[in-house]
Amino acid sequence: MPPALDPETVRQIVGKEFDHATHGPVTAEELIEFARALGEVQPEYTVPGPGLIGHPTYCVRYKGRKFYPENLPKVVNVRAGFDAGKDIELGVPVRPGDMIEVRATLHDIYEKTGRSGSMYFVVIRFTMTNQRGETLAVIDNRFMHR
Amino acid sequence: MSIPLRFDDVQEGDELPTREFVLSKTQVREYARAGGLWTPRFTDDEGARQEGLPGMITPGNMSLGLLATFLESWAGAGSLRRLGATFRGLVMPDRTVRLRGVVTQKEAARRTVEVDVWLESDEGERGVIGTATMALS
Repeated sequence: MPPALDPETVRQIVGKEFDHATHGPVTAEELIEFARALGEVQPEYTVPGPGLIGHPTYCVRYKGRKFYPENLPKVVNVRAGFDAGKDIELGVPVRPGDMIEVRATLHDIYEKTGRSGSMYFVVIRFTMTNQRGETLAVIDNRFMHR
Repeated sequence: MSIPLRFDDVQEGDELPTREFVLSKTQVREYARAGGLWTPRFTDDEGARQEGLPGMITPGNMSLGLLATFLESWAGAGSLRRLGATFRGLVMPDRTVRLRGVVTQKEAARRTVEVDVWLESDEGERGVIGTATMALS
């Protein structure tokens, strides 16, 4: 039986940027609301003023305009899936007034076989930078599809 | 401002002080609003059931954020450098959850520590597991 995921197809699409969006400007109120919703009490994240910065996971609220690239292999049932996890590498913190530029890349796609059959994992890498070109975060988001 | 944790005060095998609380539906809705995730699965029991879920669930992003807050309440604001998490199961609101962690490795040259961290239910089931890198003073 041929593999469900064609390695050549995967090679052609992995690493390609498929979306690019800019959000913002970020407000102090948004940063504080986000932090407080997590029960955060540290003043760096909750007190308005020049020292206010975004919670370390604030960037996860941003995505691109497209969820997936259009040329995803058809064996991946995009209608049935869930968020399987995230890996975040943090850069400089988000500050009020920042614009957030999001670049989305298909970072990886692979198959795992379990007792219930094949599962496909799609990893989207979101690279987020501010208006000064500084990296805010690199987020690898794993989605699982059956 | 919190007092940052010192590298020399941490040992491999140290357990972080456990944080236990009831994660309320109100708090999950507040996060859904603040986090741009205002959809039925995170805000409304009936809407979530129509999606085949047992009721409204906690966003994975929120679990991730709770772990980050937990880690920095231990080590100090701004100490988190990397956090990876796997969402293994549904985290249902209006139930007791525990945030726990243990130091697994120290890296003296960079003054960082690696931490295993997880969110578990009252029954001890680990719905979210992860690893983190913390920079200490």
